[in-house]
Order: sequence, then C-alpha cells, then structure tokens
Amino acid sequence: MAGQSDSHLLSFSAPEVEFLAEDELVEIIPNLRMDALNMICGDFGPFFPQIATKVPLWLAVALKKRGKCSFRPPEWMSVERLTQVLEAERESPREFQPLPFHYVEISKLLIDNGHEDIPDIYMVRSLIEDIRDVRFHKVETGLETISGRTHAVKLKNLSAMEVNIVRPFMVRALQAFYKLDSPEMIQQPEATVNRRPRVIDRGPRVSLQIRPFSLYYVSMLLSDYCHFNFISI
Amino acid sequence: MPSYYNIDDVLMEDEPISVVFQVGANGVGLLDPGSETNNIEKGAKVDLPFWLAHELYLRQAVSTNVPACFSMKTRKEIQADASCVDLRFRCPYFYELGYKIAPLVGDKSIGAFLRYAFTSRYGEILSKSHSTAGTAPKFSARLTKEESQLFEAARSSMAAFKKWKIGGSRLEKASILGRKRKTTLPQPSIP
Repeated sequence: MAGQSDSHLLSFSAPEVEFLAEDELVEIIPNLRMDALNMICGDFGPFFPQIATKVPLWLAVALKKRGKCSFRPPEWMSVERLTQVLEAERESPREFQPLPFHYVEISKLLIDNGHEDIPDIYMVRSLIEDIRDVRFHKVETGLETISGRTHAVKLKNLSAMEVNIVRPFMVRALQAFYKLDSPEMIQQPEATVNRRPRVIDRGPRVSLQIRPFSLYYVSMLLSDYCHFNFISI
Repeated sequence: MPSYYNIDDVLMEDEPISVVFQVGANGVGLLDPGSETNNIEKGAKVDLPFWLAHELYLRQAVSTNVPACFSMKTRKEIQADASCVDLRFRCPYFYELGYKIAPLVGDKSIGAFLRYAFTSRYGEILSKSHSTAGTAPKFSARLTKEESQLFEAARSSMAAFKKWKIGGSRLEKASILGRKRKTTLPQPSIP
C-alpha cells in the first residue's frame, strides 16, 4: 500500500503532502467565462477571460489540464527571487529562508503541468532543486548535533516536504537518545571503565515527566507552521 | 515499557542471559543441558532467556552476570572505532538489552557505555542514511536492530520522496485489486 502513510512513523507519504499542498491558492488567468464556483472551502470565481483570479492549486491544475487557463507563477518562483534565496541560504548556515510552506510541492505541480506558463522553467527548476539541497544539508548538519540533552528541535521556516522527509529519522533518533540518556541509566559509576565525553559538564537535566508529551512537543516544533500532523502516538 | 504487540520486544526478551542460581531448584533440569539429574543445584551457572532470568531475579532466585556483549573486550573495541564494530553479531538488540539488564546487574557503567556507543555510531548512520539510494550498503549489516530501524526510517523516507519527485501515476492500485480472478465460467466450445 504505497500511497498510504505508515502509522508507525507518524508521517505522511509524499503524495499525501502533495494533496495537502493542493489547497494553497495560486493565481490563474482563465480563458473561459464561467460562474463562480461555490465550494465548502470557499467561493472561487466568477471567471472571465484574461482576468486573473485566485483558485486552489487542484482546481488550477484541473482547469489547466483541460486547457481552460494558464498559470501565473507566484512571485517567489521568479529567477531573481530564487537566486536571492539561494544566496541567502548559502550565507546563513544556521537559518532557513522564508519560503512558502509547500514550496516543493507547489513548484513541482506548476512546473509539471504548465511548461509554457513559467519563464525560464529549467532555471527555476534547478534553482529550486539547489535550494532544497542546501537546506537539506543544513538539516543534516543540525541532526549531527543531537545528543542526549536534546529534548526538542526547532526548525523555523522548514517546509512541509522537508519536515516530512526528516521526521521518521528525527523522531526515532530523539527517542533513542532520550531513552539512553534517562537519569536511571546514567548513574555515576564508581570505577569509570570507558571515557565518557561531556559527562562532567552535564547541566541540570530537566526531565520530562510524561513521556508521550515530549514526543508531541517534538512533532509540534518540527512542524512549526503546520497544524495537521498530530495523528496519534 | 514492554509492549505486548511489539515483536522486537518479544524477540529481545528471548536473548540468553547467563545467571547463577542462588537457590536449588527441583524439577527444572531441562533448563541446564549439562545437568544429570532433574534438579538445578545452588550455585549452578545456567543460560536463561531474559524474560525468565528477569522474573527469577525479582524472586531473588538467581543473580545475573553481565552478558558477553557488554564485556571489556567490546568496550575496548567501541572506544577504538565505534562504527566498525559488528554489534549485530554480538547482540541484535544491544541497546534494548542493555537498557533492561542494567538494573539487574551490579555494573553501573553500562548506561554510560550504551550512550557512548550510540552517540558515536549515530554519526555514521546519519551521514549515510539520507544519501544512500537503492540497496542497503555494506555497513548496515553491522547495525543492531534498533540502529537499522533508524537507518531504514531515513532511507525509506528519502526514497519515497525521490520516487514522488520523479513522478509517475498519482493513483496507485490497491495490491488486492492486482490479483487476477479466475473465471469459473466454462469456456464456450469452439465449433
């Protein structure tokens, strides 16, 4: 069952994240005349030829596939803007640049479906790819610093897909460290047989009383802006 | 916390632990293959699965020895180069077993040793897991069960993302629909 998420790892599969991203609004230029569409999530339209309007991404893709509209690429998907972001990403090794929460998915859907609507499409595609690589590398360097004293990880501005890739590993790693660093495991031994780095400078450890809570906390911080990933633990 | 439905927990509890009987026991000779009678004498050294050793320890019938995988030799090896040690061969549930056995044996240093081992092996798992595509690399044979779960979690999530990026059909058939149904209707005879 490849399309479904694994309940063990508390994560979404990539298509599921894409599905969530399809609710984001994008601008389209329709070439048909149509009344407003009244849907549960809101009213969209009415549509007039050559007059830009905002619709959810799924609707935009559906209209595009029928040849009823063209995309107007979002402002952040221009070559200049992406070059700036890439520069800034490379310059600040500890911070992530603000990009739309679903930038990976939105850009993929727009690029896949609207070849002719996006100027410099190859450049845009490779820039986004580079940005994602740089950011992911940063996440990995951050993960190297996890130790037993890490109780939560805050990753500001990380996007949905990036969080989703790293979540299974990060949750497990934090769990393992938490377990091995619990106070009942680490007692001061009388005769130290192995060198233990950093054992003297261990600060006062604030133990989290309820264990499941610490996990909630982790997944909460991991998601920063997103509000959808509390399934169950 | 042991979980009734967790197969790894069940398998972990099956690891043999060497114990010394503090009391004589009658009628349990099958636990000790070397025993000639059906009894186990006081002071006999027997290998028992962890779950049994734990229960007997709580009843003060046995005293547990430190398992071989936490021996001085292993510790020295871990200190020398943690990521090269084949821990799976020593004990597939190295950390879990260590975590559970630490309160049973007098050795207080096991906890710190486990943490040191994991911390130093973690780096290699991290650096290889997200970048490895396709088949598992050679080093994954050295990982314990817990470590390889961590490794697999990262590898599979990255692989799933790559697969999504390449594209393909967005709708997938449920595996059950793929099966061909056998037609039970008799074939029309060809004249």
